[in-house]
Amino acid sequence: MTKLRYLALLPAAALVLAACGSDDGDEEAPDETTEATEAAGDAGDGLSGEGLTIGVSWNNFNEPRWAKFDEPAIQDKLEELGAEYISTDAGSSAEQQLTDVENLISQGADALIILAQDGQAIIPAVESAADQGIPVVGYDRLIESDQAFYISFDNVEVGRLQAEYIYEEVPEGNYVFIKGNQADANADFLRGGQEEKLLELSGCTGPLTTDNPDAECPIKNVGESYTDNWETSVAQTNMEQFLTQNNNEVDAVISSNDGMALGVIAALDAQGLAGSVPVSGQDGDAANLNKVALGEQTVDVWKNAFELGEAAAEIAVRLANGTALDEIEVTSDLGSSAPASTTTEPFTTPGEIDVWSIILAPTPVTQENLDEPIDAGAVTQEEVCAGVEAGSVPACP
Amino acid sequence: MAEPTTPQAMGESTPGADTSPSGSGEGDKPSLIRRLELDPRLLGMLVALAAIWIVFHILSGGTFLTPRNLWNLSVQTAVIGIMATGMVLIIVSRNIDLSVGSMLATLGMAMAILQREWIPQWLGFDHPATWLIALAAGIALGAAIGAFQGAIVAYVGVPAFIVTLGGLLVWRGVAWAMASGRTIAPMDDTFQRLGGGRDGTIGGPATWIIAGVTCAALIGYLISSRRRKVKYGFAARPLWADVAIGVVGSALVLGAAWVINSYPLPQPLAREYAEARGIDYPEGGLDIPQGLANPVLILIVAGIVMTFMATRTRFGRYVFAIGGNPEAAELGGIKTRWTIVKTFMIMGILVAIAAAVTTARLNAATSGLGVTFELYVIAAAVIGGTSLAGGIGTIPGAMLGALVAQSLQSGMVLIGLDAPLQDVVLGIVLVVAVALDSIYRRRVQR
Repeated sequence: MTKLRYLALLPAAALVLAACGSDDGDEEAPDETTEATEAAGDAGDGLSGEGLTIGVSWNNFNEPRWAKFDEPAIQDKLEELGAEYISTDAGSSAEQQLTDVENLISQGADALIILAQDGQAIIPAVESAADQGIPVVGYDRLIESDQAFYISFDNVEVGRLQAEYIYEEVPEGNYVFIKGNQADANADFLRGGQEEKLLELSGCTGPLTTDNPDAECPIKNVGESYTDNWETSVAQTNMEQFLTQNNNEVDAVISSNDGMALGVIAALDAQGLAGSVPVSGQDGDAANLNKVALGEQTVDVWKNAFELGEAAAEIAVRLANGTALDEIEVTSDLGSSAPASTTTEPFTTPGEIDVWSIILAPTPVTQENLDEPIDAGAVTQEEVCAGVEAGSVPACP
Repeated sequence: MAEPTTPQAMGESTPGADTSPSGSGEGDKPSLIRRLELDPRLLGMLVALAAIWIVFHILSGGTFLTPRNLWNLSVQTAVIGIMATGMVLIIVSRNIDLSVGSMLATLGMAMAILQREWIPQWLGFDHPATWLIALAAGIALGAAIGAFQGAIVAYVGVPAFIVTLGGLLVWRGVAWAMASGRTIAPMDDTFQRLGGGRDGTIGGPATWIIAGVTCAALIGYLISSRRRKVKYGFAARPLWADVAIGVVGSALVLGAAWVINSYPLPQPLAREYAEARGIDYPEGGLDIPQGLANPVLILIVAGIVMTFMATRTRFGRYVFAIGGNPEAAELGGIKTRWTIVKTFMIMGILVAIAAAVTTARLNAATSGLGVTFELYVIAAAVIGGTSLAGGIGTIPGAMLGALVAQSLQSGMVLIGLDAPLQDVVLGIVLVVAVALDSIYRRRVQR
């Protein structure tokens, strides 16, 4: 089913490809030198990308996020450091991406940033690049190879933050867990983080299953289910069933992402409960940030793609300058995404390989800091504040 | 019509004994069911449904057969049920429509964008006419898409499987491209009511009125069809049988209305209701029946209209004739191609209505709306006795099929079965249902 869904995007992908192919040309050329000299002064430790070319292999530009947030962030940072940006788009094809990487190398890339379509299938390309002395940054998605540097957000932390903010509202009561697609490893990472945080905060022994042996535990799991394809309407139906089963005695809902949170909120609203039962989410979708402003969603854990792009660009330039994988550090100001450790740490992959990595911190967005995604340009104030009473939250005066 | 239980088929049974009030006709060849002129497959499905409900009621510790859950079930069935009524005609005419899920996303997205972004530019947000304009535009677009696909099937001669497989990909992509994958929310205030959520029900008294009218219609139908049969010299059902059907049917309708009306408005909403009308909100809560949800009302209307179209109009007879034998239908002077286009157009219209209900119910339109719905819709039609070989199928059967499938699904959530296992069970039920149906049909033919 998941496959079909991606397949379904192909016709549109063809259109977008045609549009994207030609946009990264000579725009940066004119003021490159002036910018570069400034930048060389800017970076604290004298980092410079002067004369370097960084190649970025996108897997699928059809997803709006990459073109809208990630690419400009990488471009800006590279420009600041004086390096040149070149890119390819594989249009969701793992085979195409192998060719793309070769093309980037023959175009003279000194380091590569790869958003992998498939973290396994890309390995031959990564290894061949490494053999030619060209370092690789695995961007946002894990590449199962110790030759690639890994930069991403901490998915387990997303789960922890969701749990933390919901627990703050409801330290005792009936919890429902709306999990993601069972076939997606992230669904379990998220649930794992939620479990860890809830056990830590409540002091329960767990596991927090519906038949929790710890009868003293103040947190009762009264409903938990995976959601086919992270589908909004499936989450809604499941939530309706949980409300029925518990006679509306549900005090909090931990939903693993935003799409599902919308379904949950619709089910709660039909019972007049929207706004009185805390709900979590993830992704920073405009519709959900609006729900946060309206008070129907408690927290939306947001991954600031601008900061991810900025960090990746810096790392790529450092690697191209000859810094070893295990000596990488990030000095850019990453705001609320700043990682727990700005120096590199080993990350153990599901395939039991240690890769060098920097893992950024996701940003929990509540009514108090709605201005962060707005200021970053991820959403507009108009979208967030639609239908919100003026002055009820700081972001909507 | 090639159904085994049409009046012609009844002609075989001995027309001699008119009224034999003793129900001891068990040993005779014309069995009780046969004499009552009921569709045995429909009856079989009702029995299966009852069994499913009872099993889930026991497994869920007594939550399945509560008014609230049955009310949920009715709303959850509506979207698939609405589309299944159209799918019957498509399958009966030996075609298939795989694009309904993706079309639902495209149409839902179109209606959402219209009411969130376009209409407010002229009328402002939450204008009373917004929902009607959006719905009408969605229905027009649905009819156009259906006609387009149908024309390629009928006039160009591309198999429906291929055309609609293409549609499945195209419309999913279009739904995505229309908003670059964004979620559009929330919907217009009035439009939301189509979904059966807040203010999305018709209330207790109206539910009783509809139930009463339905009972009257049933009894009127029984009387008139009896008169007609007598007038034209057909063997009429024994009088006691007509009376029994009238009584049991009315009891079922009134019972359903009673169950629906025993699910009160949730207390927070009841309080709002009371405050809005200046009624004092008592300590123990208010008991205001919600009544039938709008999506269910839409489903019932769609079912009645489609049944009428399939069984009482020339168009309907043509569809079944084409399904029974396309060559003969063509030679018989039926405009088969135009008829096929019309079936796809009707499907498109029903998808648009279903899309309105889904987006209203979710209060959001996402590009992932309706993924795999095509399979559920086809499954509902097939479980309901529609034959993929064409020529056979009933609309009430398909609606019942949708109810069976949804009962299984929401029942499994209620007892906490994981999503992949739910798919396993549904898949098995689909195959078993069709297998039983085929076995039954072969025995009837002999």
